[in-house]
Amino acid sequence: MRRDWWHAYVLAALVSVIVATGTFVGYRNAAFEHRELARAKHAASSVAQGLLPMDNVVAAYLVSPAVQSREYEFLRERSVTEADGSQRRLGGTGAHAFDKRIYDAANTFDKSGAFVELIIDSDYVIAAQPARGGVAVAITTPPKGPEPFPWLVVLGLVVMGSLVCAAGTLVGGGARPLGLALGASGLAVPTFLWSGLAMALVVIGCSMLIAWADWRGSLRRAGREFRKGGIAYAFLTPTAAAMLVLVGIPFVVGLGLGFYNNNHGEWTFVGLDNFIQILSGDGRSLSDPLNFWFTLGVTVAWTAVNVVLHVSIGVGLALVLRQRWLKGRHGFRMLLILPWAIPNYITALIWKGMFQFEYGAINSVLSTVGLDKVNWFSEWSTSFASNVATNTWLGFPFMMVVALGALENIPGDMYEAAEVDGASPWQRFHHITIPHLMPAMLPALALGAIWTFNMFNVIYLVSDGRPGGGTDILVTEAYRWAFERGERYGLAAAYATIIFLILILWTVIGSRLAKKDEE
Amino acid sequence: MPRLLTLLLVLMFGCRADADPNSILLWHAYSGAEQEALRDSVLRIEQEHGITVRLVSVPYEAFADKLTAAIPNGNGPDLFVFAHDRIGHWTANHLIEPLEYYVDDRIAARYAFEAISAMSYEGSLYGLPLAVKSVALFYRTDILSEPPTQTDQFFAMDALYKGDWDGYPLVYENTNLYPHAPWLHGFGGSLFDKDGGRTSLATPEAVAALSFARKLDRDKVVPGGVDARMVATLFNEGKAAMAISGPWFQNDINPEVPWAVATLPIVSETGLAAKPFLGVEGILMSSRARNKDRAFAVLEALTSDAEAVFRAGKAKQIVPNQAAYSDKTISENAALMAFRKQLDSTVPMSASPLMRSVWTPYQNALLKVIDQGADVADALRSAESEMQSYSEGQP
Repeated sequence: MRRDWWHAYVLAALVSVIVATGTFVGYRNAAFEHRELARAKHAASSVAQGLLPMDNVVAAYLVSPAVQSREYEFLRERSVTEADGSQRRLGGTGAHAFDKRIYDAANTFDKSGAFVELIIDSDYVIAAQPARGGVAVAITTPPKGPEPFPWLVVLGLVVMGSLVCAAGTLVGGGARPLGLALGASGLAVPTFLWSGLAMALVVIGCSMLIAWADWRGSLRRAGREFRKGGIAYAFLTPTAAAMLVLVGIPFVVGLGLGFYNNNHGEWTFVGLDNFIQILSGDGRSLSDPLNFWFTLGVTVAWTAVNVVLHVSIGVGLALVLRQRWLKGRHGFRMLLILPWAIPNYITALIWKGMFQFEYGAINSVLSTVGLDKVNWFSEWSTSFASNVATNTWLGFPFMMVVALGALENIPGDMYEAAEVDGASPWQRFHHITIPHLMPAMLPALALGAIWTFNMFNVIYLVSDGRPGGGTDILVTEAYRWAFERGERYGLAAAYATIIFLILILWTVIGSRLAKKDEE
Repeated sequence: MPRLLTLLLVLMFGCRADADPNSILLWHAYSGAEQEALRDSVLRIEQEHGITVRLVSVPYEAFADKLTAAIPNGNGPDLFVFAHDRIGHWTANHLIEPLEYYVDDRIAARYAFEAISAMSYEGSLYGLPLAVKSVALFYRTDILSEPPTQTDQFFAMDALYKGDWDGYPLVYENTNLYPHAPWLHGFGGSLFDKDGGRTSLATPEAVAALSFARKLDRDKVVPGGVDARMVATLFNEGKAAMAISGPWFQNDINPEVPWAVATLPIVSETGLAAKPFLGVEGILMSSRARNKDRAFAVLEALTSDAEAVFRAGKAKQIVPNQAAYSDKTISENAALMAFRKQLDSTVPMSASPLMRSVWTPYQNALLKVIDQGADVADALRSAESEMQSYSEGQP
């Protein structure tokens, strides 16, 4: 018998206990809520029948019908019948602590009928029931907290399970995983009693999975691996936790939201409806800016045009800046990096101002040289061009910096050797410069494409989708569905998921291309 | 070491460590004079009522989103200052507390009927009004001898000019629904009917109003493509004689510019007043306010007549309190009285959640017609179908 036979059992039992505890908490809360809602409802019904309030009732009244204000349809007075039969107005000086709750409950009753609910931020439950001569309202408090955690049951089952597991190990062979699975599955019994078959099957499934992994020896291998890299894992933990909280969870929530629909605060599960609505174009023609495929086309054109301009201008400037005869190269380099150093939304706002029709800088220049003013954002082509101009201004410095770095690394003697062999300047560029630039430019190009694809600030601040949403790209479209068009958060989340998938696809293709190039 | 520990604690628990559990947290998006006035009022109320009030200024753009995120988690304010037009949305999300329990006819009668009514939604009251905001007609007294009272006069301004002058008669953001609304209402149109139901965007009245706005642009009565900042610049530089804007515009006018405010003119075609949107800024209570009685005491004190007079004087706010206008410092301020007069012919913005989906399609229609020369009826019809498509697929 191996000395570490109990390792796998501890793991399996731990998983079982965690699942069972979660199930218990869910069951306990539901049962508690059910019990307390029933209590409040019963108390309100008792008041309605004119019975004396029972135990655990903090306030219970028969509220008379509202006395409407003559001037204001939203104001009304309410009074309650006290135990001695006298009437007392709710509110004002001498109001009781629960008066507002009672008053609001009666109003809610008038608007939407009988109800019972937990009062948030408190231990109380409130119920309103119809009664003769008004509405009966009761506020109750739970006599005792929810059921305690059944430690003894859980502990007993875990110990019993360990015996079963040990017995299986003693017999050996196929009995070993069987004993482990059976022993760890003991908690399935209370889980079944708490919430039914589904969770019990989860417990059994987990136990069987661990038993199987143990039998195959995977657990031991994983344990060895973990011990070997222990310190590395310890260092990774804080970052991993931060990534999980800041990236992982929002990402999963975002994915999930795509399957829901938000109608003014009410969420309903709609399956793939959002995706179908987006991908089918929702019955809009292909030339309608609200059609997904139109927006996708604009986004792709936007990305392609920008990347081409960024790379060609960036590389061109890098080639010029490399020339030794150029005086003040470092000064120029600093100046050319500046657009990149200024926050892009500020640049975007400046460009927006320059494209302004009546008093913008560009139209002023045009009219000084005797040309007609252009209404930049009234037509798709000029509006798109304005966005591209702004983003090119923002984007070329990055490409220039990358290209400069790559150019510095080309050994000068290669050029000298080529020159001696009689290579023309074009041949030198084509056979030396370009091959050396490519490895640095390709990742920059992939990255630049992703940035441009999601360049929210420029589109939103410069053209703002004008004309009529025609220059919107996918991210701004997603934003508008979430915040400008009736809060369709679900639809916006589905948009985000689609954008994510497109970019994943692009990254895969990009890395394939880069690999091919290296070969 | 203890100092380091304290620093760590402060960093970890931030403002929570020093927060008095009995204090009232109030969020607002005010700046400048309005912020100062609110702070002074709060100081006075703290002394009179013995309640600590913590004022937190939240940027306007982020305000609504922060509220919807913070209140359900119990981290929100007890009270906050905001315009009434989101009340419908917030009640649907259970973010705000009904207040009719605290308010009787006597308190309600302090305010102009439109103002307090705007704070109500579906039979409940959700706040008390702090200030009303609507646009009116600003004009330069060095250029105009008197403001036009009929829209026809916009096209024959020479009679009103003091001397020779060739700037634009009027400037306003003509592709924005908010300053366009006076024409819509003046031509007899509306966005919502009396029962709060939405009417079509493409009514004949809306078509007439938008055609009028286009005519203003085509006849060079107003300059095209201006945003809010440019309205102020053109008015200040004397390139426009009049501007349509709200009370906040008073602070944007250069001190050396002589100006006055008048009510918007009558639309000559219909004989109806050009009624702007009325926005009512009020103090609302979070449904998770920790001590509601105490929070209401602060709310009630801040919206009292005395504080209203103070705010009108200090921050030039157009206050909804009836009594404030009999105060001498207020009644002698011509601009405030002009806005008060405009208040009588306004249309309260709808608090229905549907209102929020109107802006973008309407804006697109205005842009299409004024900027791109599209047909008016076509543009409004496509705005209507755009708006309908926003809610399509909703169960």
